[in-house]
This record gives sequence, C-alpha cells and structure tokens, in this order.
Amino acid sequence: MAEGMTWSIEEADKLTQAEIYGDVLCQLGDKYPDLVAITADLAKSTKIGRFGEKFPDRFFNVGIAENTMFGMAAGMAQAGLRPVVSTFAVFTALRSAEQVRTDICYQNLDVKIIATHAGISFGQAGTTHHCTEDIAITRSFANMTVIVPADGIETGNAVAAAMEWPGPVYIRIGRGFEPHVHTTQDYGFEIGKAETINDGNDITIICCGVTVLHAVRAAKVLEKEGLSVRVINMHTIKPIDKDVILKAVEETKRIVTVEEHNVFGGLGSAVGEVIVESGKACVFKELGLPDIYSIVGYPEDLYNYYKIDSDGIVETISEMMGKEIEEDEDWEDET
Amino acid sequence: MADKVELTNRIVLRSVLPLFKVIYEEGKGSSKGVDGIVQFAVKDSDKGAYLEFSGGNLDVKQGIHSNPDVTISFKSVEDMNGMFTGKTVVPSVKGLSHIRLLLKLVPLFLNLTLLMPNKNPKAPKKREFKVKLLMYMVTNALSQLNKGGDEDMMAWIAKMPDRIFQMSVQPEGPAAYLRVKAGKTKSGHGIYTGKAPFIHMMFQGIEGAYAVMAEGKDTVKAMGDGEIRVDGSPESAGMLGSFMKRIESLLMPE
Repeated sequence: MAEGMTWSIEEADKLTQAEIYGDVLCQLGDKYPDLVAITADLAKSTKIGRFGEKFPDRFFNVGIAENTMFGMAAGMAQAGLRPVVSTFAVFTALRSAEQVRTDICYQNLDVKIIATHAGISFGQAGTTHHCTEDIAITRSFANMTVIVPADGIETGNAVAAAMEWPGPVYIRIGRGFEPHVHTTQDYGFEIGKAETINDGNDITIICCGVTVLHAVRAAKVLEKEGLSVRVINMHTIKPIDKDVILKAVEETKRIVTVEEHNVFGGLGSAVGEVIVESGKACVFKELGLPDIYSIVGYPEDLYNYYKIDSDGIVETISEMMGKEIEEDEDWEDET
Repeated sequence: MADKVELTNRIVLRSVLPLFKVIYEEGKGSSKGVDGIVQFAVKDSDKGAYLEFSGGNLDVKQGIHSNPDVTISFKSVEDMNGMFTGKTVVPSVKGLSHIRLLLKLVPLFLNLTLLMPNKNPKAPKKREFKVKLLMYMVTNALSQLNKGGDEDMMAWIAKMPDRIFQMSVQPEGPAAYLRVKAGKTKSGHGIYTGKAPFIHMMFQGIEGAYAVMAEGKDTVKAMGDGEIRVDGSPESAGMLGSFMKRIESLLMPE
C-alpha cells in the first residue's frame, strides 16, 4: 500500500472505508461465531455482502425494508447474537430513526451500525441521498456511541473496537475514494480518545471523517506561512474526548472545527458544548454545511464549495489569524 | 466551437516553440555568442513568435518583431502547424546571410524532434529530457486550450476554485503544473509550493513517465502496473486525461 494520501486505481478498491470495513467484518466473523450481518438491499454498495459470501448462514438481506432491518437487529441482540447492520447513513439516521432509537438505543442493545455514503460523499447522487444530519441525530440518542473514522484504516480499527464496546455503536463512513491519513493500523486507536496528528501552538483544527486529510494538508500549507497548527482527529464524537479539547483551548486559544455535516448538532456543536461548559474562553469557528440542504456535485467540489477542504480551512484560519496568503494573479506569465 | 487550426497554432506558438528555450538552457542548443532575432511567421498575418538570442540567453516571445535578422515564413497557418508537428513543410527563409544564427537553430530543431512519437532515444538522459519536454508542453497546452477557447475546457474550469494540477516524476525528476482559478489558467515548471495540489499525477521514475507520455501507454493500465500514482479526485483526473488526449489529437491528427 502506498504512503498516505496516494492511491492508484487498483488500490482504490482496497482503500475505501467501505471496502476495508467489508474485509474486516469477514475477519471478525471468524473471531465471533455469534456475529450476524444484516442489510436492506445494499449488500454490494455497503460491502457487508462480503460477509454474506463468507458466512451465508449468518447474513440476512431484508430487501428495501430498513425499519424492519433495525427491528430484526434489536431482536437478534436480545436473543444473544451480535448483529452488525449496514445501509446508507440517510436511511439509518433519518428513515429508521425511530427503530434505532426505540428498538436499539432505548434498550441499550449491542447492535453495531455501519452507515455508509454519509455526509456529501455521494454528492452526485442528489440531496436526498446526502446525509448531513446524522451526527446530530445519533449523538442525541442516549446509550449510543458515535464514531466518524478518518480513513479506511481507522474504519477497520473502529469496527474491530466496536465489537468489544458495550451498547449500540454508530460508525459513519463515506462512499469511497477516501485516501489514507494513516499509514499503519497500529497508531493507538481507542474509542473516546482523540488522536493528535499534528502538534502546534497557534491554532487547533478539530476534525473528523474525510476532513481530517484536508486539515492535515491545510496545516502543511499554513506551516509554510509560519503558523503552527495543531490537528486533532476527533474520531469519536460521543463520548467526546474533553481533555484533548480543553488542552487545545488552553494551549492554542483558537479552535476551528471541520466536519462534513450541518454545523448544527455535529462535531462543532459537541466541541462547543465542552468549551462552554468549562467556562474557558477562546476564538471559535465551525466549518461545515451552513444549515442548508447541500447542492449536488462531486464530493471534492462540494467540499471546496462548503470550505471544508484544505483551501477552505487555510482561508478560514488565515482570516482568524489576520494573515493573508500571498497569491500570484498574473495569468499571462506562464512557462 | 474553437477553430481547430487556430487552436493548434496557439499551442504550437505558445507551448511548443517555447521549448527551444528549455533545450537551449539544457546546453543542448548551439554554442553561445551570437545575438540576433529569428522570426517564425505566417505570411500576411500577425501570427508568429520569435527567438531572441542575446548575451548568451534565449527568449521566446510571441508576435512579430519589427526588425528580425532571420525570418522563417509559412504560406499558411496549416503549414506552420505542420512544420512543428512533424510534417514535411518547406518554409521560405529570409536572412540567409546570418549563417551563424541559422546554425544555432539546427540543434534546437534536432532536439525538438524528440517530441515526435517515432523518436525513442536509448540514452537515459535523452529519455528524461523527452519526458521533461512533453510534460512542459502538455501543461502549457492545457492552459492554451482554455485561453484558445476550447468550449469543453472552458466549461470545466469556469467555476473551479484555485486548484493545482501537478505532474511530476518521482522521486526528483521533471515536474510541471497547471494552475486554475475561476476560468483562468496558467502553467509552470517544477513543483508548485503555494498550496497542496488538487490532482497530483506522480510518475514512478522516468521509465514510468516515458511509457505513458512518450509511448502512449494507457493511463489506467499504467496505474495498474504501478507506473503512475494519482493523489486527488479520480473524476477530475479522468477529465484531465481526456483533455490531454484532445491536445494529442490536435497536434497529431489521425
């Protein structure tokens, strides 16, 4: 596998969060004989179908019936099985919100939900298939743990860790082509413990999911401008790592959150709650979708449009630091 | 629809002719010491570019010089395009008395023929130089597609934010880039350091780059063979590839 942030077409298949999740689930199927997998007609898209190929007797496709699927998962968990459920994020957090809340979370059942195509990662599919509210919804369900992995490697770690984590877990992943931030599985992933990817003292970027890569890139650009930027991968939104947030507030005094989600109720809100509760002051800015339904387009274009890519992060931080990035605007002087 | 002949001519004048400077600076041009102006022009038109040899340097400038020492003129735009894309064209030459200046052109033209698909040097240095010339030419030609009015290119980049499309040979080989911002484009040599690239086509060594750029190896196959790695949006990389094919079809029509 190539070093972080690069892929070839052949590797792309191995790199996507969903692809890695599918493979990891097969490995976990060997380890946990009580693990069962359920999907609602999206076995191929969500990659849970790989488990079905390996363990056909422990795999259930309920058809286009998401609410039934989550109800079944709750029943199976009550019966002592270890259900893993996969469908698109929009069908999990919106269509089946009641079943996830009442059937699974209310009873604090060991159901692990891997929701794919989250955020605007399936941008070209249209706004109805975008899911920019799921972090807000799922983190408001009592007992639910919410994880947003940065890349395929972290997805593998999160799925494996969720098996040993009590209660319902919501793991939010994208559609594909998410390049790696990590180069190895062994970087100390732990649910509820954020990862400091880049240390810095001028400002802190707290991010999750695909925006972690953009934050790392932005930090490199800003470093050339003389800024020292801390990058925190807040992969677990709930329970959130309060210590790392408050340390960043104390040491950098400026916090920017970046998420592929509506700015209301997501990572930014969760971080803001921690800061406000502490009574500590800092400059605070949330980057995400500004309380609108997202437009349609390729994910990279949408990330740029909503300023949650490296350019947007650089622009925001430059404004926050009162610093201009010099630009060459002579378009005729080319070689 | 942009006129193909005009668009090709724009690429010839602004993307191909400036490679004389690259060749000259690589020491592959003739010995230094003779100053003068060599004009390339289409008869009875304002289409042309000229080479300015001065103080051991060579600059390639667009337009018609008021008093060139040597003028190489073509009957038509098609003839000028043909001359620089490998066809047999006999231009008229004015200023034959400037023998030493004319002699300086010989190695420049000989090295420029490296661009031709049938030129496959064996020496590693020559192969690297061919990759460098092609890379510089292609990134500039992508910019000329936009500036020359290619509707598809213009539409693609019209609303694009500030983005860098970088090509490089790894680990430290030739590199060139195209910068795009809201309908504007410019190309440059080397690695752009102002920001991270939106797309970075990284050729794995000179031979990987040579296979794709000089021998026309299919890009997808080259990716499968590990000769290119692409960092960035796969959809946009695909679009970039299609515009590179368009340049090839303009310069080397079937």
